[in-house]
Amino acid sequence: MAQIEFSNVCKYFGETRVIENLNLTIKDGTFTVLLGPSGCGKTTLLRMIAGIGPATSGRIFLDGRDITFTPPGKRGVAMVFQNYAIYPTMTVRGNIEFGLKNNKVPKAERDRLIREVSEVVGLTAFLDRKPSTLSGGQRQRVALARAMVKNPKVFLMDEPLSNLDAKLRAAMRVELIELHRKLKTTFVYVTHDQVEAMAMADTIILMNDGVIQQEGSPAEIYRDPNNIFTAQFLGTPPMNIFSLGERADVQVGFRPEKAGLSYEEPSAFFRRRGTIATREMLGSETLYKIDFPDGISVMVKSLQESFGVDEQVWVSASREDLCFFDEGGQRIRTGLDGLLAVVGGTR
Amino acid sequence: MKQQQEPRRKSFTKEKILPYIMTAPAMAFLLVFTFYPMANLIYLSFFDYNLINPNKRFVGWRNYYELFFVRKDFLNALQNTAVYTGAVVFFVILLALLLALWIRKDSKFNHFVQTCAFTPHLVAMLSCAMIWAWIMDANRYGLFNTVLSFFNLPPLRWLNSSATAMLSVVIVSVWKSIGYYCLIIVSALKAIPAEIYEAAELDNTPRYRLFFRIILPLLSPQLFFLLVTITINSFKVFDTVRVMTEGGPGNATDVISFYIYRYAFRHFRIGYASAAGTVLMVILMLLTAVYFRGLSRRVHYQ
Repeated sequence: MAQIEFSNVCKYFGETRVIENLNLTIKDGTFTVLLGPSGCGKTTLLRMIAGIGPATSGRIFLDGRDITFTPPGKRGVAMVFQNYAIYPTMTVRGNIEFGLKNNKVPKAERDRLIREVSEVVGLTAFLDRKPSTLSGGQRQRVALARAMVKNPKVFLMDEPLSNLDAKLRAAMRVELIELHRKLKTTFVYVTHDQVEAMAMADTIILMNDGVIQQEGSPAEIYRDPNNIFTAQFLGTPPMNIFSLGERADVQVGFRPEKAGLSYEEPSAFFRRRGTIATREMLGSETLYKIDFPDGISVMVKSLQESFGVDEQVWVSASREDLCFFDEGGQRIRTGLDGLLAVVGGTR
Repeated sequence: MKQQQEPRRKSFTKEKILPYIMTAPAMAFLLVFTFYPMANLIYLSFFDYNLINPNKRFVGWRNYYELFFVRKDFLNALQNTAVYTGAVVFFVILLALLLALWIRKDSKFNHFVQTCAFTPHLVAMLSCAMIWAWIMDANRYGLFNTVLSFFNLPPLRWLNSSATAMLSVVIVSVWKSIGYYCLIIVSALKAIPAEIYEAAELDNTPRYRLFFRIILPLLSPQLFFLLVTITINSFKVFDTVRVMTEGGPGNATDVISFYIYRYAFRHFRIGYASAAGTVLMVILMLLTAVYFRGLSRRVHYQ
């Protein structure tokens, strides 16, 4: 059991407000990803859980116990840092063992734990090496082993894969998912990479400017965004969003991969004619940029690669794939009939 | 095959000579100003020579015999130098480290303290020694004794007593060099990433373990450098002693450099002074070698 709760948490760096009145519950055993652009407060939140960057005000609970003023080492959490923060003067074994020694774990027990953990992360052969002789991926594993050996209630990870090359990152991603499934502890993972978040998370908490934009499973957040920020932060390319001609206060959007292209006028709910401005062949699919006569342009991701630049095509989207947003960028979920009539009339 | 090898051999010889040509100017300087004086020092130590009479008389190992077995003052100077060096090395490293740990955080006050500690390094040793000679004046004019008398404590004789003279000289040397060495340690401390401390905090590290197991090993290259340079500099101490005590009272603060100076330029016994200089050089070489052998394995270079 390790549920994390933030209650009315604020964080100021001097005069700068980073987080204001944030309430959040991270459920026990989930792989929760804090996602957002840099400076959105996600790392700040993670450091609050770790206790190395205390909240300015508000309370933090772990399993219902108030840990707001508990020192980091007594919280039962472990953290993997972006640059690993391995102790450079100690061997791999020394690094893994250090926390155990501080907690006065007996020697035999320590040896057993180190053996087990190094087995899991594949470091057995490197236990007596210094970190400076290891590769980036191996150092990453040392940091992971150091966290695992403490058997924490919560794993905190601050962009742990961002210093690895693309191939290794994909491999480590899979390993972390497997590790989570094996350990069944709560993982809190910070990243700005939406692909990483979508791939790994049970729950994504999307933040911007210190405010939680949306919380939910990757599929929920992707399919049913609460606001324009969420709709455009997730997905590559982001959701097409443009204002309606007759209702300037409302914006409509659809995902590039939900739109269709055709030469003939389709019978779909939303349809508009435009010119193909660019065409990017991505392999399995092709990305088109289409300019409408009124200056609006949209991206369409299509499985068909037969359309050419400068051709006139129809862009279509079905009624259930359209999202509407109000002036403040929030999703409109009720009273859509009037708006749908406007869109349906757009030519 | 042969045709291919020919130009390679040519460039090979060129490659062999070129580095010597490039380093020749520096080597010339080294030869003239370092190696020749060193060789000459050793050469002269086997002669009886007084700067005035151009005839040098070869005396073999007599000068060395006199240093160690006839006169007692050389061994005394050697002992004083060892005491001085030991005290300076110990207190400078200890105090510079403590000061650095105190002022490592960036703040206006800490910058002020750092500037204050560094300023003595900018003042000529001679001026410092003069000022300290006044501060430690044995009469009631001296600053320390004025303070002592203010608290109704008996005055100390500082530089005028063989019991406290060496201590006084050590105090001045430590005071003068602490800021400079502190600066080196502060910059090393600042180079330690904040995440290391945070990771240690998450590892529930007690403060003493943080210092001895993480901070100190990370400072070891700088501390080792300090140990070697302070040792060498202290062994060669001259100006402080020359201005403040002239080796006295008695010969309580007589150190090797001052001893050499005395015999060379007051008694004009160049050969004998050269022998003392050679001994100093050999001691420094041995000490440095011992440091590198004994400690370099415990120094962590990143």
